[in-house]
Amino acid sequence: MITKEEIIQKTNEALKKEFELTDAQLVPTARLKDDLGLDSLDAVDMIVVLEQQFGVVLRQGYDMRSMVTLNDLYNFIEHLAQEHKA
Amino acid sequence: MYWLRTVFNTLVYGTGAIVWLMISAVAARPWIKTGAQVRKLVYWQSRGILFFMRLCAKSWRVEPAPRPQGPAVVAANHASSLDLYCVAALGFNNVMYITKGWVFRLPFFRFVMKRAGYIDAETTPPDEMLTRCRRAAEAGCDIVVFPQGSRRNPQGRFKSGAFYLAEKLNMPVIPVAIGGTGQMLAPGSVWLHPSDIVLKSLPPIRPDEFSGPLVHLEMARRTKSVIMQFLQGETL
Repeated sequence: MITKEEIIQKTNEALKKEFELTDAQLVPTARLKDDLGLDSLDAVDMIVVLEQQFGVVLRQGYDMRSMVTLNDLYNFIEHLAQEHKA
Repeated sequence: MYWLRTVFNTLVYGTGAIVWLMISAVAARPWIKTGAQVRKLVYWQSRGILFFMRLCAKSWRVEPAPRPQGPAVVAANHASSLDLYCVAALGFNNVMYITKGWVFRLPFFRFVMKRAGYIDAETTPPDEMLTRCRRAAEAGCDIVVFPQGSRRNPQGRFKSGAFYLAEKLNMPVIPVAIGGTGQMLAPGSVWLHPSDIVLKSLPPIRPDEFSGPLVHLEMARRTKSVIMQFLQGETL
């Protein structure tokens, strides 16, 4: 079972590599659009990147409008990981 | 001496450039009927602005590379509002700009932007943008974008939207390196500083060079990389 810390670390690694974000930007309260500058196409790319990173399908049940901050994204992946385990 | 020249550049050449933009637009207005004619006018206006920029510059170098057959997506780095005019120096004479919405709200400019058919990146839905770019390409237009989206961060990420268009329309991307314009006219400044200007188009990058679900991201990264490598080489 993947831990929350591992989810945060892997997500941040992927976002740094693909979207040229820095550690200073990647705080849980960072807003995806306003603080990290991720637009709607970036959001789609981000999902593909995270699917590759975690090896799971994130597209089902994913709603960008409910994903405001980075913490929302971590929680969503954690929720999927728990569902996957169950 | 540096500031004396800056003041002279701003008062004489800056004013000259603004007067040129206005007179050329007013003089051409009776003959301008179609979007293609407006785009041709913008090209000649850009050539005029480049003339004034050249007078302001300490040194001036333009290096166009052989371009691929057919229309292309022209992707340039962005450090100054002067960059809009720089693509004309490299032989792109029929272009469709995709720009931020605020440019469409500028007095004087907004008339030209709308008549030329340029695309507002912020309000145009993705499907409509794709359709309009396809039509523009069929009419022989190159699509010009500044993927960093802002002049404030010259090292900023290249957003992948333009490369998504290139992938969907199967068009090559021509990376364009623009050096020195950020020193000549910095964002938020009105002073035209003397600086070394270099404008270079680089070999095209094609969608079929990449594979997988994130071709547009790979293209964006490669384009930024070749432009930044060239510009870093210029400052060594």
